[in-house]
Amino acid sequence: MAPGLKDIIESLIFVSLDPISLDKIKETLSDHPPAEVEQALQDLLQTTASAERGITIIQSGGGYVFTTRSEFDPWVRRFLKIDRKSKLSSASLETLSIVAYHQPITLSEISALRNVDSSYTIKTLLEKKLIKITGRKKSPGNPLIYRTTERFLAYFGLNSLDELPTEEEIARILGEDRTVEQAPKP
Amino acid sequence: MNDVPLRETETSVSYQVRLEVFEGPLDLLLFLIRKKKIDIHNIPIAVITKEYLDYLGREEQINLDREAEFVLMAALLIHIKSQLLLPREQPLAEGEDPRRFLVDQLVEFQKIKAACSILKEREEEQLSLWTREVLPPLPEPEEADLVEVSLFDLAETFFVLMKRKEAENFRVVRGKNFSVEEKMKEIIAALEKESVLDFLEYFNRQETLEEAVVSFFSLLELIKARLVMAVQERLFHTIKVWLRRESKARQ
Repeated sequence: MAPGLKDIIESLIFVSLDPISLDKIKETLSDHPPAEVEQALQDLLQTTASAERGITIIQSGGGYVFTTRSEFDPWVRRFLKIDRKSKLSSASLETLSIVAYHQPITLSEISALRNVDSSYTIKTLLEKKLIKITGRKKSPGNPLIYRTTERFLAYFGLNSLDELPTEEEIARILGEDRTVEQAPKP
Repeated sequence: MNDVPLRETETSVSYQVRLEVFEGPLDLLLFLIRKKKIDIHNIPIAVITKEYLDYLGREEQINLDREAEFVLMAALLIHIKSQLLLPREQPLAEGEDPRRFLVDQLVEFQKIKAACSILKEREEEQLSLWTREVLPPLPEPEEADLVEVSLFDLAETFFVLMKRKEAENFRVVRGKNFSVEEKMKEIIAALEKESVLDFLEYFNRQETLEEAVVSFFSLLELIKARLVMAVQERLFHTIKVWLRRESKARQ
């Protein structure tokens, strides 16, 4: 392996504000064999993961990015004077996961699944750029259709939609609920 | 239903859940199904309808805006019950059940809820990680290529935007009033979250002409109060708005 390849990749990740994809790294280092670049990246990830440093590299939104380690969150927030980051409301989260699992989807389909008018929530999610309009459905009224965005993936630390909670994970959660229900009465 | 006390005394052991905690009628239904330990695929409609109506009845008054959906679900439940009771000319075909539609909805909703709880954990985890993108590239006032805009530049941009807005064909008729004060708060809130606001984009997001005009006035007010700084990279270019750092520090 070419010496320093690992360090070059580290510097690329450092200067990139958005997560930098493996393809992008390979493209930049086109004078090196792709396999070597991949190997160097893996080495880099391993070194940063084991190093006792304040920052680390995570894979998120389809690329690699520097983040602080979660245990330093309190100090970062103190420094930035942010009490806590605002989380999504449960209505937003509900709507968002419906879009994620059923995309492409229209507003009326979302509202039907939730049994709640979701136009306001959709507006909020659009503003937060967690979902986007991707066209109109060829059905009466030509309603707008929505999809989740790259930002949605990054927000939840996912690399692709395939990483959404799977049927099995969901079934497990539902199963846990059931065991709670079946717990003997006091 | 009416004998339920409106306000629980502190000594009262029985608990009361208010409707507000539920996102919607399905949420409430699922809660009741769990509470009653009912099999979701074989719901005793009479029992669940009674429980459900009890909950609605606890509300001191029906707020149509919010509770219309809850009332609609009550109607659906009663409809299903009536279908189950009414004699039929032809017996139901195998597998056909008036409850089917509701059950399908509940099962799907339950899955969504479970997915939500997983995503919520992920959100929590992600929110404790900080990447550099949350540190905004704070504008250095010394930077030569940034011009703090004058009122006239703003006005000019404003008129360009108004022309564009006017050209749009509005179909929405709304009776909502927008106050400058509220808009100012909205802009500040947006700035606190995003740190920098593309005013042109923000302006375009406004749904009506009226809202757009109000948002522009709000921006002027904020500049006047020296709470924000408006900067244009080039003339006739979009206007970027930042919170003034001094004002941030003061908070």
